[in-house]
Amino acid sequence: MTSIRSVRAAAAGICVLTVAVAGCSGGGSKASTKTSGVTITVALATPPPPKAALAAFTKQTGIKVNWTNIDWDSLQTKIAAAATAKTYFADATDVDWSRVGQLAKLNWFYPMESYVDTKALAKQMPQLSSFTNGGHVIGIPYDASFLVTTVNKNLFAKAGITTMPKTIAQYTDDLKQIKAKGVVQYPLNIPFAAAEGLSTYWYQTTAAFGGPILDGSGKPQFTSPSSPGYKAAEWMVDAIKQGLVPPGNINVADTQGQQTLMAKGNVASTFGDYSGNVGSLYDVPSSSSVVNQVEYLPTPGVNGVGPNMSNPDGIGIPRQAKYPNAAAKFIQWFTQAGNQADFAGANGPSKVMPGYFLPSQLAGLAELTQKGKLIGGAELAHLLKTSAKPVFPQGAPSWYPEFSRAVYTNLHAAATGSMSVGAAIKAIADQANSLASGS
Amino acid sequence: MFRKRSWGRRIGILVILGWSLVPLYWTLNTSLQNDSQISAKPAHYVPPTPTLHNFSSLLSGDGSIPTTVRQSTVNIFIECGAATIVTVVLATLAAYAFARMTFRGRKLLFYAVLATMAFPAYTTLIPLYRIMSDFSLVNTYTGIVLVYVSGFLPLATWILHNYMSSLPKSIEEAGAVDGAGRMQVLWHIVMPLAIPGIISTAIITFLFAWAQFLFPLVLSSDDSTQPLTVVIAALQGRHTVPLSLLSAAGVFALAIPAVIAFALNRYIVSGLLSGSAK
Amino acid sequence: MTVGTTALGERTEPSHSPSPRRGRTWIQRIDVLPYALVTPLALFIVLLALVPAGMTIVQSFYRVQPLDPPNRFDGFGNFRRLFADTAIRTSLENTALYMVVGVALSTVLGIAFAVTLQRRFFGRSLVIAVLILPWALPGVVEGLVWTGIWDANTGLLNSVLTSFHLINHYHVFLGQNRLLTIFAIEIVQVWQITPLSALLILAALQNVPDELYESAHLDGCSPWASFRRITLPLARPGIAIAMVQALIATLNVFDQPYVLNGAAPTAASITEQTYFVSFQNLDFGEGYALSLLITVVTLVVSIGVVGLIYRQVEY
Repeated sequence: MTSIRSVRAAAAGICVLTVAVAGCSGGGSKASTKTSGVTITVALATPPPPKAALAAFTKQTGIKVNWTNIDWDSLQTKIAAAATAKTYFADATDVDWSRVGQLAKLNWFYPMESYVDTKALAKQMPQLSSFTNGGHVIGIPYDASFLVTTVNKNLFAKAGITTMPKTIAQYTDDLKQIKAKGVVQYPLNIPFAAAEGLSTYWYQTTAAFGGPILDGSGKPQFTSPSSPGYKAAEWMVDAIKQGLVPPGNINVADTQGQQTLMAKGNVASTFGDYSGNVGSLYDVPSSSSVVNQVEYLPTPGVNGVGPNMSNPDGIGIPRQAKYPNAAAKFIQWFTQAGNQADFAGANGPSKVMPGYFLPSQLAGLAELTQKGKLIGGAELAHLLKTSAKPVFPQGAPSWYPEFSRAVYTNLHAAATGSMSVGAAIKAIADQANSLASGS
Repeated sequence: MFRKRSWGRRIGILVILGWSLVPLYWTLNTSLQNDSQISAKPAHYVPPTPTLHNFSSLLSGDGSIPTTVRQSTVNIFIECGAATIVTVVLATLAAYAFARMTFRGRKLLFYAVLATMAFPAYTTLIPLYRIMSDFSLVNTYTGIVLVYVSGFLPLATWILHNYMSSLPKSIEEAGAVDGAGRMQVLWHIVMPLAIPGIISTAIITFLFAWAQFLFPLVLSSDDSTQPLTVVIAALQGRHTVPLSLLSAAGVFALAIPAVIAFALNRYIVSGLLSGSAK
Repeated sequence: MTVGTTALGERTEPSHSPSPRRGRTWIQRIDVLPYALVTPLALFIVLLALVPAGMTIVQSFYRVQPLDPPNRFDGFGNFRRLFADTAIRTSLENTALYMVVGVALSTVLGIAFAVTLQRRFFGRSLVIAVLILPWALPGVVEGLVWTGIWDANTGLLNSVLTSFHLINHYHVFLGQNRLLTIFAIEIVQVWQITPLSALLILAALQNVPDELYESAHLDGCSPWASFRRITLPLARPGIAIAMVQALIATLNVFDQPYVLNGAAPTAASITEQTYFVSFQNLDFGEGYALSLLITVVTLVVSIGVVGLIYRQVEY
């Protein structure tokens, strides 16, 4: 018979067990300073460098590398789960530019300046500043990803546009002309799906309109209708309302739009595309129908050329790493200029790391361009040196993921018409204010 | 009368086939194309230039992708197979006890077991991760199988309990009268009658295990234990999603249970579909 | 054959343990065998399901935020905050819709498929193999394939409808209209979970003796009547389990809305919100509170379903 007493007894027993297990500290083994003769696990959202390169590293340092490729979303889940459960899963892993604020506050990663000469590195890697927070360098950027405008020059030419637009007003007019001439029905690609790609697109557009998103203390700078962020949001939502953007795009994410629209010649331009896409997507015959038609355009800004927002990928050492010193050696090797150039294809296909196109080291980029192996190289290198800027000059705030979610869900709602731009901006600003004041 | 019945059944069969196969055909279709050919407007209903390129990138050669895919296929087999066997054995024993015996705490335990099905995966993810880490079972087959078994036991027990309690008691009672001990009754009389329930439980458990993603993502750290599902997700790149490659991976991942089902066809038919109507 | 009306197998039959006789010690009076049979199960469930669940329940009353340590007792704070969050409230509505559509569709289809496969026919095992294929397709690929089907710019459905001249421009299925979006997303999940429902009901139907149908036919019953009077009642245990499984799956739906519609509040599910709150906001306390909420709802609705549908069947 199930008496109340036996239920109570069972519940009590479970409580005791729960407390006992919760009381156990995590299987925390002390980190070792050993470097030679160990095997480290590297978990990144990218395929590994060629076996020969890793073997050379092992030969040089005695460190074996166990590479795990996990998709970016799942990797962020794993990083959070492992850190929360205080469990080891890798010696070196992904540090995303957008997570730097959060990771720094959580102290989940070792400060890289104790392992690597970050001062010297800063001169060679313009994007290192995005990875510095509170005086500590949380990770080392291993690529130089940034947002850039891409245009299909063939489609522009077909519409009779002979010179490329230099301001956003000219850009918008050109798109309208392309539509009016019937070259393509919807010339502009904006990924309005409620996902991260929409947020970064808005940051890039805001930068083109000439302003920042947040100030140093995290307060929103886009609340007034004359502010760049507001105008950018308006521009984006108007574009879909006026038929410059395919109506189906309310549910198209960034990579989806680039692959199914831009790479198929269904649109003429993507304002906030990813650097390297020309080489990795648009000029690859097995993925694209518009080979040799797409090129990078310096950002059409308010009064002339505008900046490019950088969104680099970084690598860092989680606190639960078993061999932090060995991991640091690996990171140094991985981000060395010469190796980066190899991975990007400067010295032949056998040294290529799949999916890697833009070295974060200026020297690596120089070698690549010099050897003529960077598609869109001179343009990209120029943009990287002169106009690539961090999205948040003071570093991404620790509450970035929640803020970004407010951005993309509200902009998405504005695009579907269920919310006005003003209401969407207000919702985003309210969220930013409440997060910045720590409630 | 029978003609009407079989006509209805024919429609039913067509619906089943269409329901399953249309999206799967689309997957196969995509897997035989290049990324430049998919997302065409209008869509290509048949691959314009069919190629096995995606499958060979996935499976053959020494590159990092094929090696990982092959290793993870081995991993998923071991993990799903072990989990299925352990689950079915433990569930059968327990279900018999619940169905045919009385003992103190029987109802409480039974309800408690079923109630654990109501907990969402995210609830137990971090605590289980910590427990496995405390016992150094992270990134081991054992750890993953233990977590799987704990997750699938409730449903398996429920199905088998159902099955066993619906079996005619007369046969078991006859066995007991003949002097057979209870374990002998279980082994020689009840289990053969329960084979359809056992086989369907095994199939269901195996398929549940096959589809797992979140738990192995967190509990396995590298190639040595990552199952195929996690590796397939990793094929999504940061800035490009190779749709045709992923479709090929999907076809591969579902072909395996399909091939097993086909190979074990005879046993499934005689086992699952025999019924106890004797 | 008797069809009892008790739920969950309540049985009162004399135990098989030996009757206590004078001179036997207490350990000889206790029937050890049943305990031996259920102990492994009990160990697994207690250690790996109930203890973690207990930890979650306890922590849902604490503020567990790595960004704001230390963990401290918060009473109902997490619950208050989650109910005040409009995104979460909307996702509760969405999930309720997912549940209703998903359970209804998958159960009806599951019954239909099971009945189709009930009798032997040439190629039956092949059809069963085809039936379970959607379940074997990894969730990641399923999401991508169905994105390709529903896509408003280049998708298969739009393409087919256009080829048949049923529409003249591509339609947006996902993202614009809330009900349509939820329905389209749930169809994808139903596609995946119907095989399980069908299998569960089919297994239950295997025990139904042919003689029943034969004698019904001899008595002049139409196929529909024998379906209603024989098949359905006897399949009730299987249907109940199938419905509970569908309930759990739909209340916990995550992959499909996430891949097909991102985080858009129009169709976000409660599990998506749990994920965002836990792994992006890093507010694990609130995440646990949400999980507890889902658990309670699941239990309550499941008990309702079982009470209404489940019937002990004995032959």
